[in-house]
Amino acid sequence: MAALATEGVYSLGRGRFVEAATYEGVEKVSGVVVTPEDLEIHIVARYPLPSPIPEIAENIRERVAPEAGGRKTTVIVDDLEVAVDEGL
Amino acid sequence: MRVFNRVFMIVLFAGLFVLGVYTVVFAFDLFDYRLESLPITNLANGLQDFVGNVEDGGLSVTTQALLVLLAILGLLWFISELRPSAPRRVRMGKGTYVTRSVVQDQVATVAEEVPDVLGSSVNVKARRSPGAQVGLEARVRRGEELGTIKSNLQSTVRERLSAKGLPVSKLNVKLVEADPRQTKTRVQ
Repeated sequence: MAALATEGVYSLGRGRFVEAATYEGVEKVSGVVVTPEDLEIHIVARYPLPSPIPEIAENIRERVAPEAGGRKTTVIVDDLEVAVDEGL
Repeated sequence: MRVFNRVFMIVLFAGLFVLGVYTVVFAFDLFDYRLESLPITNLANGLQDFVGNVEDGGLSVTTQALLVLLAILGLLWFISELRPSAPRRVRMGKGTYVTRSVVQDQVATVAEEVPDVLGSSVNVKARRSPGAQVGLEARVRRGEELGTIKSNLQSTVRERLSAKGLPVSKLNVKLVEADPRQTKTRVQ
């Protein structure tokens, strides 16, 4: 949710080569891969970009840091999506 | 390399399977095939002669060249196996990656916004170091000033991608003169 609320994030990605998801019991969270040491966040960025991608990635890292529990956070931009209101 | 390895292993296993079938057939004298009928004696003699020649240093120049070639091939194969495979995603910086298709789409969009470009095709390769290796083929009208278009295209793509934070470490631009009737865009 913290990643989704970041400006420039259109949605969470699903991964391009393998499905990016975390399973816990019967629940599945798409777009986030959590391992004991790492946290991988897949996003679809909103186009036109409100700020350069590294800046969006840094904002996401900052927002998720309190929940990351010290894990190394990697942000992966899976795709760009033109927002409906942009009319491009 | 993965495809080559797969093909090699398939051929190897198919060969071993066929050899296994033959071994069973000959071992149990099935279908009138007998072990004694095999030219194993000739093979064994040939092998003995070859090993004897290696020991005496009496190999022919062709055989020596063939053995050296085999050794070099084996070494090259070994080295290529040790090389790590190319990454799938483009590294942007500290802990940020972007898929190749994103870079590809952005380069194509920027290139096609350049007035002289009628169409483009983009090939993006990820590297171990930050930044993508981009190969851009742009189609332009015949008789245009290619040098100017190329430098303009290069600077525009680099500038626009850098503004979006998409790093391009290597950009190869190739201009192809094309008939506007066969390109994506006829007029810019």
